[in-house]
Amino acid sequence: MSQHSILIVEDEHTLRRLLEYRLGKQYNVRTAANGEEALERIKEEVPRLIISDIMMPKMDGFALQAALQEMDHTKAIPFIFLTAKADEASRLKGRRTGVDDYITKPFDIDQLLSRVDRLLERTAQFQNQLDAKIGQDFSQKLMPKKMPSAPGYRALFHSAPKEHGGGDIFDATQPRPGTYFITIGDVMGKGLQAKFYAFSFLGYIRSTMHAMLRNTSSPAELMTRVNQVLMDDPPLEDTFASLLLIRWEPERNLITYANAGHCRPVLIGPRGAEIVPYSDMILGLDAGATFKDTSLVLQPGSALISYTDGLLEQVMKSGEQLGEEGILQHANSAYGKADPVQSLLTSVLDDSVESKFGDDVLMFWLEREASKDRQSRGPAPRWFSPFSEGTES
Amino acid sequence: MQATTMNFTIEPITHDSVVIRIGKALDFRNAADFKAGAQEQVRSGVRNFILDFTETGILDSTGLGSIFSLYRQVSPMSGQVVFASVSRPVQVVVQLTRTYKVFRQFPTVEAARDAIR
Repeated sequence: MSQHSILIVEDEHTLRRLLEYRLGKQYNVRTAANGEEALERIKEEVPRLIISDIMMPKMDGFALQAALQEMDHTKAIPFIFLTAKADEASRLKGRRTGVDDYITKPFDIDQLLSRVDRLLERTAQFQNQLDAKIGQDFSQKLMPKKMPSAPGYRALFHSAPKEHGGGDIFDATQPRPGTYFITIGDVMGKGLQAKFYAFSFLGYIRSTMHAMLRNTSSPAELMTRVNQVLMDDPPLEDTFASLLLIRWEPERNLITYANAGHCRPVLIGPRGAEIVPYSDMILGLDAGATFKDTSLVLQPGSALISYTDGLLEQVMKSGEQLGEEGILQHANSAYGKADPVQSLLTSVLDDSVESKFGDDVLMFWLEREASKDRQSRGPAPRWFSPFSEGTES
Repeated sequence: MQATTMNFTIEPITHDSVVIRIGKALDFRNAADFKAGAQEQVRSGVRNFILDFTETGILDSTGLGSIFSLYRQVSPMSGQVVFASVSRPVQVVVQLTRTYKVFRQFPTVEAARDAIR
């Protein structure tokens, strides 16, 4: 609502109304008849731009401008002086107090409108650049420095956060030798706010894990605790997040996960791709939500693909979102490629309406190697095992 | 008596129930408006919300978040948020997040009205 609110300060009734009418077509306009009233309006809500007369009763434009310069939260509001005093002295005085523009009456209303547009555009641009910079910083901190690794496995990771994307999170920890915990999630919302929440939320998850992993190694139990944190802690009251917690034990080739409303992972192998179906409710919504652990064994040559909803929601040339069906299809054609993650993403983009992803894209591909496994077990007893899963080549 | 804000039509049905007709999209562009509109209803005593998704083609995570906020606000006051005439794109998001356990669904607004009465 306050996105483009403009305050007009003008003592002359007719002109005030005219400006209100013309600017009101594009912006949310409020008015004041003098500096004092203007300060009250500003107290109610800080406008995005002020257009003010100079000569006014009670408190004139100069005094208003000076008062605004005194306060941190009003200092930077773009300010346009609008006055009949065309003389050079007041113009200079106007410049001195840090006024952004100075328009003399009689003025061309279209010219005023274009200056307002330009000024607002410039401040918005500045804000965007700042947001992008902070957002990038958060995004970097939210991503892992090191990938988990184990003999006979390869872990591929891709993350491309958008400047104004959402709050994707990824984390991998090794609480004890031979066991990894992988966290993939998405904090709901957009932009800097979501990134900030994602950042603090990841902190919560890590400390919860750290505290709990001494007593449990169940992703579902961790999930239950994280959900309670979101339900009980006031700072996180309005935060909702989908989360996929994966425990990976490479020596047993075992994956145990709990899924709280997150995009369902894909299991892919020589026989094709399938969705790993079980999941529970998203976090932060229901204090009584329960979570369940599900286990699966990674067979030689198969991979678990986890991702975030930016991929799922990519709009394809068909006009539809990629969806789970689309991911399965593209995963199948990427399987077996040297870099399956890049192949998958490239082929999705080839079929997309836009040539870029519309949102953050994050993917984690955990693959048990087919060849390494055979080597470690020695030659496969091909001659008496017609049911052996290895390929014959 | 109808109030329209952005893409939403809010229609009171009883002293504490309203139908909010969600337009073509509820996403990061208008989620704040939805939140503000719903907030105003809660302040004026409304506890039960029927969300009509007949026309809705887009529901993104920010939009869904604004519905979640509403749910968290009214559920401690024995309020309800129910979904009516859920379109396919909305159904996909609801399935993915497993929130059908929380938001009851009805085929039509009328069915929802009868159920929450």
